[in-house]
Amino acid sequence: MTTNKNDKFNAKTVSEEGKNVVYLSGELDLSVAPDFRLVMEPLVGDSEVDLAINLRELKYIDSTGIGILLSVLKARHSMNASFAVEEVPTQIQKLFDMTGIAKFFEPQENSQ
Amino acid sequence: MKADQTVTLNLPATADFVDIVRLNLYGIASKMGFSYEDIEDMKVAVSEACNNSVLYAYGQEGGLVEVVFGINGEELTITVKDEGVSFSLPQDVSDAAPTLHEKELHDVEIGGLGFYLMQALMDDVSVVSESGKGTQVVLTKRLTRSEEKV
Repeated sequence: MTTNKNDKFNAKTVSEEGKNVVYLSGELDLSVAPDFRLVMEPLVGDSEVDLAINLRELKYIDSTGIGILLSVLKARHSMNASFAVEEVPTQIQKLFDMTGIAKFFEPQENSQ
Repeated sequence: MKADQTVTLNLPATADFVDIVRLNLYGIASKMGFSYEDIEDMKVAVSEACNNSVLYAYGQEGGLVEVVFGINGEELTITVKDEGVSFSLPQDVSDAAPTLHEKELHDVEIGGLGFYLMQALMDDVSVVSESGKGTQVVLTKRLTRSEEKV
């Protein structure tokens, strides 16, 4: 159901030079969580290629969306593959800070 | 707006209708004079309450969720009510969803953040769950006058 075109969730993948960037826009909630998982699945497993998610145009995220980001983070970490979250809007950063997921998105050394 | 008015929505308990609740919340809260930030906070909290009804209360069965916006001059109270099989809730909601702050990545479990977010983003949260009679979540946000209006 489309209520507002600007709010409709979309995920666009741009692949170039050993890096995949997924640009999210609209509202990432429970209703579109399966779509987002489908987009991420093939990208997560490719440990040779860097992976980033760009949230600049993301209007809204709920705990379901945050949960998916966490599962991607865990999967990439276990493969020793990179995962970055770019251009987080203020309101979404607030949720990341509140839940404590923010610290995992901070730039960190891969070697631990 | 006059004090003590209510707006009631009855929606199918599916994920596709949670955005309708957010749209109505936006309309009502901005009319009352809530700040942009407060409205964004309430959007997240109310959606989490609706998600719980959609996910846990009804399973595959379908059904309705009732959302009541209670408007008075000083605060907005949002009640999310379902008549599904109650989901099991920790005794103390404030302990319900440990955050990730003290955890290492390998200890992190996915899920359980919804109740924590409701608690953190609203002024008051109460959950009444009665077996066979469904669950009622009441979320309250008070108006703070000094902030920039929408």
